[in-house]
Amino acid sequence: MTDRFLTVGKSLHRKDAWDKTSGKALYTADIPVENLRVGMIVRSPHHYARILDIDKKRSLEIPGVLAVLTSDDIPGDKVFGPLIPDQPSLARDVVRHLGEPVVLIIAETKRAAQEAANQIQVSYEPLGAVFDPVQAAQEDAPQLHQDGNVITALNIKDGDIEKGFQDADHILEDTYTLPRIHPGYMEPETSLAVWGEDQTITVWVSSQHPFTDQGFIAAALDLPVENVRVKSGVIGGAFGGKEDSSLSIMAALGAWAIKGAVRLVNTRRESFVAHPKRHPAQIHYKLGAMSDGTFTALKAEVHMDTGAYASYGPAVAAILTETLAGAYRIPNVQVENFVVYTNSPLSGAMRGFGSPQSHFAVESMVDSMAEEIGIDPVQIRRANILKVGEKMFTGVTLNETANALPICLDKAQEIMDRFRAVEVSPGKKAGVGMALAAQSMGLGANVPDDSTHRLEWAPDGKVLIHLGAPDLGQGLAMAVEQITAEALGLPYSQVESLPLDTLDRPNGNVTCASRMTYMAGNALIDASEKLIQDLLAHAAEILEVPAKMLVYKEGQIIKEDGTKLPVVEFLGRLAEKSITLTSESTFSFPYPEETTPQDLPIGMPHVLYCFGAQVARVEVDPDLGTVEVTHFAAIHDVGKVISQSGVEGQIEGGVATGLGYALYETMLRKDDQWVDSFTEYLLPTSKDLPTHYESIILEIPEASGPYGAKGIGEIPLVPTAPAVANAVKNAVGVRVKKLPITPERVLGFID
Amino acid sequence: MITVSFLLNGKKASVTSLPNRTLLDVLRENLGLTGAKDACGGEGECGACTVIMNGNPVNSCMIFIGQIEGTQITTIEGLMEKGEFHRLQKAFVEAGAVQCGFCTPGAILMAKALLDNNPHPTDHEIREGLSGNLCRCTGYNKMIDAIHLAEQGGLDD
Amino acid sequence: MQEFNYHRPVTITELKEQISIPGARILAGGTDIVPRMRQGKFSAPILVDTSGVKAMRFIEDQGSEIVLGALTTHQEAADSPLLQNINPALVTAAESIGCQQTRCRGTLGGNIANASPAADTLPPLLIFDATLLLQSLKGERRIPLEEFLLGPGQTDLLDGEFIHSISFKPMIGSWGAAFIKVGKRSGMAISVANTAVAVELNDKGKISDIRIALGSVAPKVICCRKIEQTLLGKEPGPALMKEIHKACQEEISPITDIRSTAEYREHAAEVIIHRALESAVEQAKERGR
Repeated sequence: MTDRFLTVGKSLHRKDAWDKTSGKALYTADIPVENLRVGMIVRSPHHYARILDIDKKRSLEIPGVLAVLTSDDIPGDKVFGPLIPDQPSLARDVVRHLGEPVVLIIAETKRAAQEAANQIQVSYEPLGAVFDPVQAAQEDAPQLHQDGNVITALNIKDGDIEKGFQDADHILEDTYTLPRIHPGYMEPETSLAVWGEDQTITVWVSSQHPFTDQGFIAAALDLPVENVRVKSGVIGGAFGGKEDSSLSIMAALGAWAIKGAVRLVNTRRESFVAHPKRHPAQIHYKLGAMSDGTFTALKAEVHMDTGAYASYGPAVAAILTETLAGAYRIPNVQVENFVVYTNSPLSGAMRGFGSPQSHFAVESMVDSMAEEIGIDPVQIRRANILKVGEKMFTGVTLNETANALPICLDKAQEIMDRFRAVEVSPGKKAGVGMALAAQSMGLGANVPDDSTHRLEWAPDGKVLIHLGAPDLGQGLAMAVEQITAEALGLPYSQVESLPLDTLDRPNGNVTCASRMTYMAGNALIDASEKLIQDLLAHAAEILEVPAKMLVYKEGQIIKEDGTKLPVVEFLGRLAEKSITLTSESTFSFPYPEETTPQDLPIGMPHVLYCFGAQVARVEVDPDLGTVEVTHFAAIHDVGKVISQSGVEGQIEGGVATGLGYALYETMLRKDDQWVDSFTEYLLPTSKDLPTHYESIILEIPEASGPYGAKGIGEIPLVPTAPAVANAVKNAVGVRVKKLPITPERVLGFID
Repeated sequence: MITVSFLLNGKKASVTSLPNRTLLDVLRENLGLTGAKDACGGEGECGACTVIMNGNPVNSCMIFIGQIEGTQITTIEGLMEKGEFHRLQKAFVEAGAVQCGFCTPGAILMAKALLDNNPHPTDHEIREGLSGNLCRCTGYNKMIDAIHLAEQGGLDD
Repeated sequence: MQEFNYHRPVTITELKEQISIPGARILAGGTDIVPRMRQGKFSAPILVDTSGVKAMRFIEDQGSEIVLGALTTHQEAADSPLLQNINPALVTAAESIGCQQTRCRGTLGGNIANASPAADTLPPLLIFDATLLLQSLKGERRIPLEEFLLGPGQTDLLDGEFIHSISFKPMIGSWGAAFIKVGKRSGMAISVANTAVAVELNDKGKISDIRIALGSVAPKVICCRKIEQTLLGKEPGPALMKEIHKACQEEISPITDIRSTAEYREHAAEVIIHRALESAVEQAKERGR
């Protein structure tokens, strides 16, 4: 097939890259503001405690202190939460995690704010804390919230689990333990709020959901939503961790209290303890299979630690549950999944959203089963992968893009053979392992998921995209510019995305769930078509011919006689009449009634999946237990590449994050404190990543996607950890079931 | 208060400040040069605050302002010349090495210091050089490509 | 960040005067002090910034001794051809610290004064019996590095004193010196266990002198006299692993902390001592030819 695309599929320059390389890009902490006051948050030193009293008197007396705010001072809603409104903006009556915000101080200088923080008298009555979700789910555990500690208890069944295990020739059971990890964005949470005239406020955020922030801020300040304007600064990474409005609410509160300008920037320590992390989980996994490798039954019990407040816990539970069978046909399934409050820092959205946890379990277990039966690990997967038209245990039917699965396995096999042939370094033991992945797209059935975007054709010929969802740094703007340019037949340079501002941009919804390129892309293709029709109608009027006699192509209106007129001419004429050419379109994530099961809890199931596989070659030092990933390959189906460099960048970055999860990252609690700095929390550096790396990008068109495109944002870190664990097993015969795979675990010094 | 005199991006500069402020504080708050970032809380663990001081890449978050007396400092804002992007900046854009961009200024300056010292580094030497610059977006591969692109002189200087 | 009075001497004389002011503490590269001050773990009413005292930045072969100015940076040590010849363990150690940005600032003197039990430059200096020259307004004194280190973050440095330089004698004959560290990550790695081993072989190929220093396994970096005793006079080879194992158990007392466990540290220490010994022996054989 010849490449008939003008723009889609190419590697182009991101337009925002120039400002980023020259230091001109304005992240929210960089925006210059006049009369900026200092905000400081006083946080709980206890994991769990009753607040007996807060005495502000001495701190209010300090010169330069403008406001000392507690929950009582919040005029509107004192709690918020994306799914369950259980998270106080400032603690009230009780603190439930170390670092929970209790008092917000606004002062003229850092010194005054610090003095005021030192002088605040908060009396606490410490209570017995609980950190283990299995313990916290018990009746006798300290009850952290009114309705108990278990906020979600899923029990999803398919088939006959008893019979399933009876039919099995082999049954294996294991427990997999996943740690708490930090999304790791380099830009800490930041928010700048400026009080305006007539009870209005403008808030700059580094956020995945500015429109949601707008709603929460308005509710907290008891203002009409129209009075709150939220603008997106340049965002320095998010990875799910910036779907939390707490800092923007506090900044807005501060600005409201002093009727001025306040900026809050979390230190990295605050970011560790007070912003959402990936859910730690314990997954007890029991798999049954026949001697030929066919899976017969899966029974799993999961406990997820959602920390002090719910955040996205129930939604993460949904995806974790749905992906526990991976991309396999397992006719008899029972999954119980408990989302439990503990006194740990919040767990919430993080790239992968339950799928990295579930895949560590399923892909480790599948390899274990292969070894138990005596079958090659690729072969056992081949025997069980779902085919087009077959159903996952949730009842979701896989569409023709499931054809990616056997291709992923073929490629993985070829790569494994190549990696196995690599000469082993002296003194080391080498191993090769793989893992398969299925990652969902979208927010789940019966959760409203609409995304609206707008186009404007400016008089100078430039097409402006009023993008309703933020670019988190991953290149959303570039992808939608390429799609729009393609749809309009214009050069990429002629299309530009505008920064997000709730005042005059449409609501594109949250950038998350591997779906924004898909949703915005679809909306903008539709909006482009509308724009063209609108243009033709106007042109027809101007030329005094019927619209059907005109054709639009690549920036020109073509008359019946073949004359080509540049669009700019018409735009100019319209501008003279104060007519701006715009169009808007809303795309709703498709949940076809005929094929979407309706018998599951809200937010389930997810109906569109991305597929991929990864292969790792490791060399293990048998005496020290250190693991080096020397070679790595990532095979991912993206439907259609929109931006070549964008897709590669997402895969490479995702793999690096996956390797961090596999080998280095964990937020431990020692001596009653949480690990809260990059000194102890180890992100992979350039020296810790494979020197040999390959991306294989498949394009099996997704019929519902813009030019066939699907998502790629999350899946690159989903199969990574099990691929590494499987490689380590292959190298030294040790099955590590708890992440990260540290030398101590490889050698059996700790479990 | 102390006053320090130094060369900033080739020009004479002078700053008066309390001595307990770091070079990073002063760049961002006194001089309006916000290209250098704080990503790790001033612990020298991330490299996002990297500047070049007397030819060496350093973490500006760990240098008290008195210590820059008489030194030559280059920040990311000083890399462009007469409105032209430096070949490293062009290379980073060309190679797709910029995603969220928060680590980018530090990484580019580290790369400049590396190439100034070692004009044709190997992949290994580049990884070694970049090991103090954390990035969560890119996995570093395209930064390595960018540095090779720049050192091969494929772009105008 | 707490406030302090700031002094910036340019000569050693000025330095002596300023450090003798009560409450004054030395600021060298700042890579330890600045973050610790920010965290409230270090405070001083007066900081004396030595970064302008060029007279203390040098690496000199003074014939019978090698002398390193306290303000020599880790990068300078790593890049020194002289040190590569005289103490390759120190070069390996200096190269392994932190990252380029911190190596360009961190100093040998600062690393010693900070006295972390995991400090990487200390084992290679200890195996060469390094001594420090401490100066003050009152005069100067020499002290072996081993006696100077008292505990985690604790040294024998008195008020008004500063480290001027570090010196050690080069080894002669068939000698070798190697450094190995185990970290949790390859880049910016803090040691979980680190060791430097120096060995001298006699003309029968047996160990005629051996020095072993181990970090991260005790409250301070230690010289492993028991292990040295056990290995003295022996033939180098895989059989020594057992001896190292036995002697290690008696000599070291690692802890379990956020980075690792006591058992792993003990195990890793034995492995790296043996490997560093093998590497040093290889060098010794080369020099012997």
